[in-house]
Amino acid sequence: MIWVVTTFTFFLVRLMPGNPVEVQYERLIQMGMSPDAAEAQTAVTYGFLPHGSIWSQYVDYLWALLHLDLGVSVEAQGVPVADRVFAAAPWTVVLVLSGILISFLIGVVLGVFAALKRSSATGNALSIAGSLLHGVPPFVLGILLFALFTRRWPIFPSGGQYDAAEVAPGLYFDFLGDVAYHAILPASAYALASYGGWLLAMRSSVASVLGDDFLLAAELRGLTKLTRFRYLARNAILPLFTVLAISFGLMFGGSIFIERIFNYPGLGMLLFASIGSRDYSMMSGAFLLITMAVIAANILADLLYSAIDPRVRRA
Amino acid sequence: MSEEAGVRAPSATRRSLSVVAAALVVALSAAGCGDSKPQTAGGTYTTVDAGHAIDASAPINPYNGKGNAFSGYNSVTLAFAKNSLNDHNAHFPGVAKSWDVSSDGSKVTIHVQPNAKWSDGSDLTAEDIRTSAAVAYTQGGSVFQLTPGAAGALGEVKVVDNKTVEFTQATGNRNNTFLRSLLAMWVLPKSVYDSQLPANFWDLVKQGSSADPAQADAAKKARDDIAAAGKKIVAFGPPKDVSAGPFVLDSVSASEAILSKNKFFYDANKIGPDKVRLRNYTGNEQIWNYLTSGELDSAPYTSTPTNVVEQILKVSNSGKITGLSQVSAALAFNQKYPPFDKLEVRQALAYVIDRSQVQKIGEPDSGKVAEHTSGLIEDAAKLWIGDEVGKLNPYSVDKAKAESLLTTAGLAKVGGKWTLPGGAPFTFKIQVPAGFSDWVAGAKNIASQLTDFGIAVEATTSADFAVYQTEMAAGKYAAGFWLIALGPSTYNAYARLYGGANGWAAFGGQLTHNPAGTKGNWIGGAETATIDGLGTVNPGELTYQLSQLPVDQAKDTIVKLAKYTNAQLPMIQMWNYVNVQFVNTTRYENFPPNDCECLRLTHGVWMQLGYIQPKKKQ
Repeated sequence: MIWVVTTFTFFLVRLMPGNPVEVQYERLIQMGMSPDAAEAQTAVTYGFLPHGSIWSQYVDYLWALLHLDLGVSVEAQGVPVADRVFAAAPWTVVLVLSGILISFLIGVVLGVFAALKRSSATGNALSIAGSLLHGVPPFVLGILLFALFTRRWPIFPSGGQYDAAEVAPGLYFDFLGDVAYHAILPASAYALASYGGWLLAMRSSVASVLGDDFLLAAELRGLTKLTRFRYLARNAILPLFTVLAISFGLMFGGSIFIERIFNYPGLGMLLFASIGSRDYSMMSGAFLLITMAVIAANILADLLYSAIDPRVRRA
Repeated sequence: MSEEAGVRAPSATRRSLSVVAAALVVALSAAGCGDSKPQTAGGTYTTVDAGHAIDASAPINPYNGKGNAFSGYNSVTLAFAKNSLNDHNAHFPGVAKSWDVSSDGSKVTIHVQPNAKWSDGSDLTAEDIRTSAAVAYTQGGSVFQLTPGAAGALGEVKVVDNKTVEFTQATGNRNNTFLRSLLAMWVLPKSVYDSQLPANFWDLVKQGSSADPAQADAAKKARDDIAAAGKKIVAFGPPKDVSAGPFVLDSVSASEAILSKNKFFYDANKIGPDKVRLRNYTGNEQIWNYLTSGELDSAPYTSTPTNVVEQILKVSNSGKITGLSQVSAALAFNQKYPPFDKLEVRQALAYVIDRSQVQKIGEPDSGKVAEHTSGLIEDAAKLWIGDEVGKLNPYSVDKAKAESLLTTAGLAKVGGKWTLPGGAPFTFKIQVPAGFSDWVAGAKNIASQLTDFGIAVEATTSADFAVYQTEMAAGKYAAGFWLIALGPSTYNAYARLYGGANGWAAFGGQLTHNPAGTKGNWIGGAETATIDGLGTVNPGELTYQLSQLPVDQAKDTIVKLAKYTNAQLPMIQMWNYVNVQFVNTTRYENFPPNDCECLRLTHGVWMQLGYIQPKKKQ
C-alpha cells in the first residue's frame, strides 16, 4: 500500500505544471531583484532538481527510500526533506491529537447524555447541535474562531506555536503553557468540527446497547449501578475506538487548512508551501508521511479492536 | 445524569480527577498568557521578512533559498541600492563605506568600514570580502560568471590593504551594471566559509574563465568543480551565526526568528531595537492577519485588497509610507494568436481600455495609472527622456478611433459584436494567476470594458503562479498580465519586453533572436519594425546596447525604445505600482518619510540608516 501511494504521489507531483526554478525566478523579480541576480540564485536551485528521465528518477527515489532517505529540498536548497518534515510533524501531531481527544471526550460524554435523555428536549437539542456542527467544515469554524478571538476580541495569538521571544523550547511549565495557549484556537477548530460526529455515534451506540438483554440481566442479578454503567460504556464505546484510531490518520491530511488559517507551522503548512514552490522532494516526503500516518492509524485500529474486544480476540 | 436504566453518575473520585485535569489544562494555558518578560529599553521590533518565509531547518546562509540569514538584519551586502529613478548605481553605504570607480567603469575599489567587525568580535577585513567574492563565484550569475565571454564578468579580485579591495572587470564585454551587481554581494566571514572552498580555488577561477580553446577541457572541469563547491556551499549551515549586520540570530522556530542586537556592529549606536522578531507566514493572508491584529511594527504591502487596507489602517497608530516603485503591470499579448499579430488591433484595444478605471479597480491603494506605455514607469520616463514623453501617444479612450483601427485591420462589427476577417467572433481570454487579487480584479475590469465595446472577453485564472508562468512561457494564453518597467536599470526594464520572453538572447557578446514559440519566446513580436521618425528599429539590439552604454549616454537609445514600445504596443501598461509600507507607531517611531530612497530596502537597513527608534514614553 505504501509503495502504491509512493508511486502515485511521485508521478502526480511531477505531472504538476510549473517548475521550481521558474517560480523562484519570477518571485525574485517581483521582489525587485535584477534579472541577472535572480538568474544566479535560481541557477543554484536548478542544481538541486533531479535530472534524467522520469523513470530513472523514480528508481533513484525508491532506492533512496529503501535507505530511509527522503532526498533534499529544492526550495531550501540541500536541506534534507526528512529534517523539514520531522521538524514540522510534531506540531501537527500536537494539534491533531489534542483536537481529536478533546472532541472525543466531549462527544462521548454528551453522546451518553443525549442517549439517556433522548426523548427530552435537551437530548434532541444536543443531537441537533452535534449534527449541525458536524456538517460545518473545520476550516470554516477555524476562520470564525480566528475572526472572533484574535480580531474581534483579541484574546489569543494570531499565529505561531509559541512566543520565541518569551520562552525557549523545553519541558517546563512556561513553555508548555505557551504552546497550549497558541494551540487552543486551532485545536478548538478541530474539536468543534468533529465532536458532533462522536456525539451522534455515541448516542446511537448507547441507545442500541441500552436495549440489550445483558443489561437487564445485570440489573436482575443485583449488580450495582456503577457496574452496570461500566458494562454499558464499554460496550457502547467499542465501535468508536476504531474510528478514533482511523481519524488520527485522516486528520493529518486535513491539517493543511487549519494550519494555514492559524499560521501554525506543522506538516500542513509545509506541504502547502512546497506545493506553491513546486518542491517535488518536499511534496513527496510530506505525502509519504501523511500516508504512513493513515496506514499506521488503521493498523492501530485493528490491533486496538482485537485488544479491547474479547470476542474478536477469541475469533 | 439521570437514573434511567439504573445508570449512576461517576463517583466523586472520578469527578475530582476530571476537575483536576481540566484545571491543569487551564493553568497551562494561563501560563501562556501570563505576564511577558520585562521589556528592555530598545524593546523587540516585530515584522516579517518579505524575502522568504522562515524555515527552522534551513541553514544560516544567505545563498540558501530559505536561509535564516535575513537581509539587512544578520546578513548584509557591500552596499544597499537606493530607490533611484534613473541611477542604478546609487547606493547607501553598507559594509563598503565608500567606493571608487574608474572612468570606464571597469575597476571598482571598495573601502571597508574602518570599524567593521563580526559579531564574534573579530575584525571584518578585505580578506573577508575576497572570500565573499569566492563564494559568490561558486553561485555564479551576474558579475560572477566564469563562462568566457560573459558580459560584464569579474576578472580579478585584489586585496590592496586590510580594508581595501579592488575588483576589475574581465577584458572584453563590459556591462554597466557591474558596480550594482558587485555591491549586491553578500559579505561572509572567511573564518566560516573559507573551509568550504577548494584549496586551489583562485587557480580554478583563472582556469575556468580561460578562453583559450586548447584549455577548453581543463576550463570546463574547473567550472564543474566550482559549481560542485557551490552546491555544497548553498546547503552549508554554520553552527552559529557570525554576522556583520546590526543583529545576530538568536533562535529560529517554525513560527518566528528572534535576532538580538549585535554589539560589534560598526553603527550599533544607530540601532534602536534590542531585538527583532520576524514572524513566519505561508501567504499574504497571514501578514494581513498580523497587521489587522496590530502585532507588527511594520510590514510591506503585499497585494493587500482595499478592504483589508482599511482594516489595517483602523488599527490604533497604524499608517502607511508610500514611495517610488519601479514596477508596472501590463496587459501582454501573445502575437501568435490572431488578431494580436495586427498592430491596429493592439492599438484599438489601447484606445478602448480606460486604464484609470482598471487601476482604480485593480490596484487602488498601491498603484498609479500608467499615463503612457513606454516600457518605463512614468516618472522614470520623464527623467530619462524629458519632453519626449509628451510626444508619446497616451492612447486616451477614443472608441471611434478604436473602431476605425479594427476596421482597417479587417474586422467587422456585426450586430454589435466584433468579428474577425473570416467571420468568427472576436473573443479571447485574459489569463491571470489565482491569488493575485489585483491582477484578477484588473483583468475582470478590462474584460468588462471590452465586452461592452463588443469584443467578448473573459478573465480566467490559473491555479497558481507556477502554472500560470509555465503555460504563459509555453504560449498557451492569448493575453495575460506581466510585470514590466523593472528599473532603475533601463536595461533590466526593457529586457522584460525585448529579452528572452520576446526571443532575444545575449551571450558572449552575441545577440540572437529565436522565432516565436521557441526557446521561451511567447510574446512573438516582430524582430524589427518601422517607426515614424526612427526608421527600422530592432528593439532587442537597442536593449542589449543599454547593457553596454554608460548611463549618461543612454538617452538616445531609451528614446528609441520608448517610442518603439509606445507605437508597437507589445503590451499595454495599465498601472505603475507605488511602494507602500505599513507602519505602527505604538512602540516605535521615526520611520522613513514618504518617497525615501530606502523604502524598497528591508527594515533592518532602515535601522542601519538611523530610522526606527523606541517610542519615547510620555
